[in-house]
Amino acid sequence: MLAATLLRITTTFRLGEHRVGFLVWLEATGFADWVRMSTLGYPSMITLHAIGMAIMVGLSLILDLRLIGYFAGIPVAALHRLLGIAWIGFGINFLSGSALFSAQATSYIVDVVFMSKMALVFLGAATAAILQPAVVKADSWPGGRTPGGTRAVAFIGIIFWVGAIITGRLTAYL
Amino acid sequence: MDSVMDWMTTTWINQLVLGYAWSWPTLESLHFLALCTLMGSLLVMDLRLIGFERVIPLRAVHSLMPVALVSFAINFVTGLGFLFGDPYTYAANYAFWVKMSLIVLAGVNFLVYFTKVEPAIINLGPNEPTPALAKAVGVMSLVFWFGVLSYGRLLPYLGTGGG
Repeated sequence: MLAATLLRITTTFRLGEHRVGFLVWLEATGFADWVRMSTLGYPSMITLHAIGMAIMVGLSLILDLRLIGYFAGIPVAALHRLLGIAWIGFGINFLSGSALFSAQATSYIVDVVFMSKMALVFLGAATAAILQPAVVKADSWPGGRTPGGTRAVAFIGIIFWVGAIITGRLTAYL
Repeated sequence: MDSVMDWMTTTWINQLVLGYAWSWPTLESLHFLALCTLMGSLLVMDLRLIGFERVIPLRAVHSLMPVALVSFAINFVTGLGFLFGDPYTYAANYAFWVKMSLIVLAGVNFLVYFTKVEPAIINLGPNEPTPALAKAVGVMSLVFWFGVLSYGRLLPYLGTGGG
């Protein structure tokens, strides 16, 4: 019993060490060094990150607002298809964000503001992923009105995205 | 030019932007939020102008224009805050001037849309193709605004640095 508990504690500790070890290794890679030190690395990744953000967050917010009741003349189906472009923006952000993370992995992982941003980004993306199949049948919504649950997800999506942008910006300061 | 920058640093705007630890981060958060809504609304409008998603009636896509205009106004005001806070650094940075030139070009492009394109297309229904000038204006709008975004983000890393 005691031995099993001790074994579990030591295993957990090793796993923890392993995780930190991975981040230390990541930060020491040639790629992370390129992002951190080269003339092109950091500026090019941060610019791609801003472009991807504008596409993903911008198009998601327009879809969210449409589902809440604004721009009622725009067919939901059209914004649903444009969400495909939004996911390309998200892909750009995932890749450029991973590059930026690698450059300072061990500091980011203990940064509460940065980790909050990461949570909000994935929660925001989750709302988009939930809405994507939910709006397929928008043509058959009675009176063209968004069902309550879908409307709620759109509203929460706006809150997550706004939170992600603010905490993302504050990461540079705190 | 030097006297304009000197004057900027004597204004209450400069005091407000530099006087509190939260001013600059707050302005930046607003600047980034509004750039997202600006680019999102532009993407939908410009892609429709170019010829994608023709199920959207042009009058309906035009309902996004207030989003774009209010977003730009927010970014203009917050951007002025940055400029009044640190005028010498921005003025010495060539990326800042490229960004401003691209905003002027985007403005000229908007005037072409407003005077020539919009009157010709506003009554087009769903599935009707847009004229060549409309397509060109849509493409140029995306080129200029993504350029503004890129040079804005590159600003601290190019030239002598700023913001």
